[in-house]
Amino acid sequence: MKRNSVGVVGAGSWGTTLARILGDNDHDTLVWAYEKEVREEINAEHTNSRYVPELTLSDKVRATGDLQQLCESCQFMLMVVPSHVFRKVAYEMGSHLDGEHVIVHCTKGIEQETFRRMSQVLREETCVRKIGALCGPNLAKELAARHPAGTLVASHYDDVVRAAQRYLHNSYFRVYGGSDVVGTEVGGAFKNIVAVCAGVVDGMKLGDNTKALLLTRGLSEMARYGASLGAQVLTFGGMAGIGDLMATCASPHSRNHQVGERLARGETLQQIQDSMFMVAEGVKTARSVQAYASYQGLELPIVQAAHGLLHEGKSVQEAMEELMSRDVQRE
Amino acid sequence: MKPKDRQRIQVEVTSRVVQHHTDRAKTASEGYLETLVNDTLFYERQRLERDRRRGKEDAAFYDSVLRRMGHASERDLRGLLEQMAQRFVAEVVGNFNERVYRFATSVIPPGLWGLLNAMSPKRLLSLEGMRHGLASHLLVQGEVDHVRSLLDHGTLVVVPTHSSNLDSIILGYVTYLLGLPPLTYGAGLNLFTNPLVSFFMRNLGAYKVDRKKKCTLYKDVLKHYATCSMEMGYNNLFFPGGTRSRSGEVERKLKKGLLGTTVTAYVNNLLAGKPRPNLYIVPCTLSYLLVLEAETLIDDHLKEVGKSRYIIEDDEFSRPRQVYNFINNLMSLDAKIVVTYSAPLDIFGNRVDHEGRSLDNRGRLVDTSRYVTRDGQPYHDAQRDSEYTRELSDAITRSFLGDNVILSTHLVAYSIFNLLRRHNLGQDVYRLLRTGGQVASFPMEQVHLEVEQVIEALRSGNGERPRLDRLLEGGDIQAVVADALRAFSLYHSQPAAVRRGDRVFHEDRNLLLYYGNRLRGYDLGRRLNGDKR
Repeated sequence: MKRNSVGVVGAGSWGTTLARILGDNDHDTLVWAYEKEVREEINAEHTNSRYVPELTLSDKVRATGDLQQLCESCQFMLMVVPSHVFRKVAYEMGSHLDGEHVIVHCTKGIEQETFRRMSQVLREETCVRKIGALCGPNLAKELAARHPAGTLVASHYDDVVRAAQRYLHNSYFRVYGGSDVVGTEVGGAFKNIVAVCAGVVDGMKLGDNTKALLLTRGLSEMARYGASLGAQVLTFGGMAGIGDLMATCASPHSRNHQVGERLARGETLQQIQDSMFMVAEGVKTARSVQAYASYQGLELPIVQAAHGLLHEGKSVQEAMEELMSRDVQRE
Repeated sequence: MKPKDRQRIQVEVTSRVVQHHTDRAKTASEGYLETLVNDTLFYERQRLERDRRRGKEDAAFYDSVLRRMGHASERDLRGLLEQMAQRFVAEVVGNFNERVYRFATSVIPPGLWGLLNAMSPKRLLSLEGMRHGLASHLLVQGEVDHVRSLLDHGTLVVVPTHSSNLDSIILGYVTYLLGLPPLTYGAGLNLFTNPLVSFFMRNLGAYKVDRKKKCTLYKDVLKHYATCSMEMGYNNLFFPGGTRSRSGEVERKLKKGLLGTTVTAYVNNLLAGKPRPNLYIVPCTLSYLLVLEAETLIDDHLKEVGKSRYIIEDDEFSRPRQVYNFINNLMSLDAKIVVTYSAPLDIFGNRVDHEGRSLDNRGRLVDTSRYVTRDGQPYHDAQRDSEYTRELSDAITRSFLGDNVILSTHLVAYSIFNLLRRHNLGQDVYRLLRTGGQVASFPMEQVHLEVEQVIEALRSGNGERPRLDRLLEGGDIQAVVADALRAFSLYHSQPAAVRRGDRVFHEDRNLLLYYGNRLRGYDLGRRLNGDKR
């Protein structure tokens, strides 16, 4: 059976935005949406008001709740579900996938407890080998407005990169190719932790010097962490590293940034999460990265500070003081 | 190989090699064929320069190629290419004969000890009393029945760890003992230099690989030969590490060249519509209580220059007396050569069931043909296939680490060397090896305690854990240490460690490092000593 459609697994703000790009590129696109009302709205109104109200989808985009139908209709798929449900959804898809499928995941997180990256989860839960990771400075709201942007798709398989470029590249979205999957995934996940801290800096109105200090040291920690997992350090100087870091840390649209800003204003994490219906990946990623770092003996002070703030009940002032009172070393 | 297949494979390999390069010449820059022929000529003449005595006929051939090169047309170049390829193929193809194999395997292993004592084949073959030598010192374990069941479903490719030149002989014998069909494998020319060993190597299914031949054309011939033999259904044996492990570690970096031929053969099988297109990879670990060539291998590993030395012609294997001593000493011990067959894999690194069907990590069936098809049609893709081979290689190294059997010599050597390092913190390992540091010996009690801790750490690791030998599983630490020290005292020119009174002295630290390295890859340094990555 020919699989003529392109699939998007997940209909949150990022998944819907990617589906819009695919629709703009005139590809028949099938979106798997968990919530029934979201599916119905996409199919009836071509909108997803719950997650991206400002966006209208092309009529090439349809929604389904049936993963089997999605796998049978689509050879190329984008996987855009939050990291905490990623394994479950991948496992369910696993019964309907085969070696011809190509999956590019766009989830910027690391699995808690196992420290697995999403490409590893896909590899463990499915028989698919042609796996890639997409990451870059891609704020959904700006892409929804079709403002020019770029991204990186990394895979060990050239087929995957070529397919992603063929389906996604257009006049407002440039898709660069790479092969450093680990670096790309680490960049995407790690930057969310730094974004929480950047939100704190903004919330406390500490200014640009502080933010620049945070970003550069954050990038350095990202590279150290990535290198310990086998990433190429140069990747962090590109789209998935500094690119994504700058966009996320500067933008008030970022959910992770919002978490930091509200913490600085004195709200508790519980209060913030209760009022957010979308997931701020940095909260969970801080826990995973901190656990891995202490297991491996890696020194990551910003991660440690973020972890203290998010999961150990430390105040913003305490975390800041700890960071600033550390011994000074060579850069 | 059956005579009719032998002829067929010669023609097929030559034709594929020539076709491959003719196709490339069409898209490559001008002068591709000329460069290829020149490259072959250059490397062959360079090789012959070093060994004029043996290669008279070869030299005459390449002189004639050189003469014809001067005014060769494209067509002439293709002709020269074909002649050179034919020559390589003829040399590589062994004269495998199944009947001789059956005969040879029933005699060689018990007779191995005598064989290597430089006796004549005639005399050797008459020694009935040697029939029961090796079997009692071999322990074969693991997924043997599983491997046997796959014979009905496809072609086997056995991929063992490689510590010693004895590996291929041991594996040939084990294959026979288990009633498995013979394995075809590429053995270095140095194994053929002894006429007696050569006789058996050929008849155990070996074909000649001359590692001194560096030209691309020769390497292509080897790859196509392996590919064709698999397509013809011959079970193969590759040493995926490429050469004997110099450091004593279990191989964690594998050569992808030969492994990659499995994907090529599989796609060709699908394209040809063969009823049994599958190939199955059988990782296999060999663990020796003592290693014949240990001293040379670790010396080579430690020498900066030696790291690039791919062929060693002057090691213990080339000295019959040394081999005889080794074998005799090993025979006097309870054991031990442990051969462990790991769970078979498909060529993409998936597990397979007893019916040869591939399974994903959750036990669901996988149609492997879909890995190499587009819209249902099989096709070759070099980049894709090299990635599949990388994934297969990762799966094999995981099997190696998980089925590596730790014997007393490995454990005790690691423990003593670890004590040594801890007593000389901050000291460079090379310096420590040379000087021995500040402490010449350790109290026996301390050694026992260290051994106990290392066993505990091996058992509690998060990643792959090795198998522990029965003696180690038994928990009698004193017996483990005594077993290792006894083994160390038997064969090597200087024991790795020796007991005097209530203390254990480190004598040959290189050997301690070598045997202890068998425990590398399990993250022990971090867990025992807090080493950082």
